[in-house]
Amino acid sequence: MVLKAGYLPGIDDDAVEWQTLTYDRDGHAIEVSVPLLSNEQMQDLSERIKEASRQHLKSMTVSDITATIDAAIARLLDRNDTYRQQAEEYLPLITGYDAEMIRLGLTGYLKTFRQSELRRFIAEDFGNPKILDEFQPLPKGGYGKAYGPDLLAHIWAGNVPGIPLWSLISGLLVKAGNIGKVPSAEPLMASWFARIIAETDPMLGQCLAVVWWKGGDVDREQALLNQADLVVAYGNNDTLHQIRDRTPITTRCLTYSHKVSFGMVSKAALDTGKAWDVAHQVAYDIVRYDQQGCYSPHVFFVEQGGAVTPQEFAQYIANELDCFEEKFPRRTLTIEEASGVAAWRQSEEMKSFSEENASVMGDAGGAWSVAYSEAEEDLAPSGLNRTAKVIAVKQLDDVPARIAPYRAFLQTVGIAAAPEELHRLAEMLGAVGVTRISALEHMTAPEAGWHHDGRFNLLDLVTMTEVERSAETAAEAFSDYVD
Amino acid sequence: MTEAQIIKTLLNFIVADGATNDDFNALALQIFAYQFENNIPYQRFCRQRERTPRTVRSWRNIPAVPINGYKDLMLSCCDPESADRVFMTSGTTKDGIRGKCYHPTLSVYDTSMITAFRQRFMQEHPKLRMGILFPTEQTMPNSSLAHYLTLALNEFGADGSRYLLTDDGLDREALFSELDRAVQTGEPYALLGASFSFVHVMDDMERLGKAVSLPKGSRILDTGGFKGQSRELELDAFYDLLEARFGVPRDHCINMYGMTELSTEFYDWGNTTCPSVKSGPHWIRSQIVNPLTGDELPKGDKGVLVHCDLAHFNCVSSILTEDAGIEVDDGFLLLGRAEGAEAKGCSMAVDEFLKAAQG
Repeated sequence: MVLKAGYLPGIDDDAVEWQTLTYDRDGHAIEVSVPLLSNEQMQDLSERIKEASRQHLKSMTVSDITATIDAAIARLLDRNDTYRQQAEEYLPLITGYDAEMIRLGLTGYLKTFRQSELRRFIAEDFGNPKILDEFQPLPKGGYGKAYGPDLLAHIWAGNVPGIPLWSLISGLLVKAGNIGKVPSAEPLMASWFARIIAETDPMLGQCLAVVWWKGGDVDREQALLNQADLVVAYGNNDTLHQIRDRTPITTRCLTYSHKVSFGMVSKAALDTGKAWDVAHQVAYDIVRYDQQGCYSPHVFFVEQGGAVTPQEFAQYIANELDCFEEKFPRRTLTIEEASGVAAWRQSEEMKSFSEENASVMGDAGGAWSVAYSEAEEDLAPSGLNRTAKVIAVKQLDDVPARIAPYRAFLQTVGIAAAPEELHRLAEMLGAVGVTRISALEHMTAPEAGWHHDGRFNLLDLVTMTEVERSAETAAEAFSDYVD
Repeated sequence: MTEAQIIKTLLNFIVADGATNDDFNALALQIFAYQFENNIPYQRFCRQRERTPRTVRSWRNIPAVPINGYKDLMLSCCDPESADRVFMTSGTTKDGIRGKCYHPTLSVYDTSMITAFRQRFMQEHPKLRMGILFPTEQTMPNSSLAHYLTLALNEFGADGSRYLLTDDGLDREALFSELDRAVQTGEPYALLGASFSFVHVMDDMERLGKAVSLPKGSRILDTGGFKGQSRELELDAFYDLLEARFGVPRDHCINMYGMTELSTEFYDWGNTTCPSVKSGPHWIRSQIVNPLTGDELPKGDKGVLVHCDLAHFNCVSSILTEDAGIEVDDGFLLLGRAEGAEAKGCSMAVDEFLKAAQG
């Protein structure tokens, strides 16, 4: 079975070099052909996309665009649709994630792109969404209009299914032409989405493309960076550093680096009636996509003094992870991933020999592990792939100071606490650089319109053209009706 | 058994030929019992794994300590104060803590080294004129490799053998004069040292346009990989370069695989093809395991190496390495370090975090 990734409007498939990526998990081999453009083809494609964006996309209204996206998303939500069926069949084979987890995850994720949610998304960033369609009066006086770039280049990373849709849809909403580079780890979802858009509105289909090159192919990357008006890139700091260095100085480059997220559980949530539910929620956040997301938790700070102790709570989490392993088994790990988990688990075990009350719980097969500590430990990532650390604290108010040194890596905090605690902690966490606070069980499913890493996903993409009041006033002097 | 009995038994075992699987197993279990009894942290480690001398019947089931365990646990049966020598792991690890291996006597280490080195490196030569590309034992008293190379030089170096590194770095004049002398006299020559030292030397030679063709029978021993101390080379490129610069064919370029946490080394029979097949002498055995479960993998599957080295009697004999390997006929392929992978998504992995947090 050979699947095709990429989407190249206006370029004949036969004119392009295709390479084959092979995914072999648990004996199910699957091949995906991916297009590798020459530098000339990349330039040609870039010019084509820019032209289509100027000619067509810029004249569409935001409502038209959201309607098209909504129709495309509806197909991906429809389990009778062939694209949806392909996603359910092949994404588990490509990424190794449990099929049911992907199915549920996709539905939850795609729902955040329905028309009503897209409107919310726009309203988050633009008080008056019409500013994307035509000049609108500005509160300070004069008029303004927001323009998206003619060519927005996306360099995506990772294997969490569907993640590229965030920035791709953001680009479309601000009327940007888009070329996205898919990662080898999951090249299909963005490609399918682009094709559905083209099938839904062929003209809009001319305004986006999906390409591929092997990570680290500097030449190919440069060809796209040279053409782009704006770059959005995802990856580790080394990768991002290189991309930013090679982006022409007059081109803006927005980077999203890897992050560490964590959870906090108040003693208010640790009564015997509620603690099991909270532990279940915690385990769900750990299990979802095996902690591969920037919003995935590594550590849980758990407050002492509740009816259920932090140590007992760690056992509850272990129990819930064990149950989840039945329902959504963890994907098979590569030897490198297994070594990462083993190294983390062993190092936690070693600590448990010298540290009072420290312990490590885990199943024999290594499918999950929970470490427990009462020491004043710093924030540190877990071994990933369903490994988490529970750190007991006297009071949650002490946590923000402990995580403050890691401002550059912080993102989501999942909290189970009473309302007044929640608001007090939010104030403190925001001050040290946390950008998103959610309920437990929701850490890996940001709501529609969230501000990724605290940034304005849409506003960051546009430039404003302002007509100042002086121009208006001066124009009056030249009107026909001037006295 | 007492320490003295263990040492005596081991010395006999190492020099004797024809040890059977059962002999190895019996001695491994005795040494395990000795370590279990005399090293409380290891005993605790074994109990946590629910394995004790009562329940373990095969060397394969002796609990293997992760090599990082040396940084957190005091793994010594003798009083560390009384140890004759301490070898320390390199200080380049991420947290800067160095693991310590205590040796109450070096007699076992030395006998192990000498016996295997004679078989695997010297082969038909009783002695060879040697050049060492590594600091002396005096300069690095806690380096097991420095001791190893000193032993090689003292035991097997013909007259004129010498160190080619000084405190200021490579003694280029001495090296070139040794190489030229070997070419002129036709006397086989042996060059031994850290892999990264060879890279520096070869870079230097390239700059100066220097290349020699050492006499037939000459050989090279490199060890330790590049470890960020020189540019990283593919193994094939490295051995091609050695052959080109020194005229030593790849089948006479031997790579030694050892570590501070062992008292026995592995060798290949040359590096005509890479990765080469590594094997050790009869007092060390290896397994390829799944790093998470510790379960032995079927032959041909990639996993990490566990070594059971009887000669490392005072610390722990069985260690779980971070080296990836595959079992083959007559040994294993060493595939480099199985380092933790970066997350497949946008989450941060431990290594990346440490790197970023340290700026």
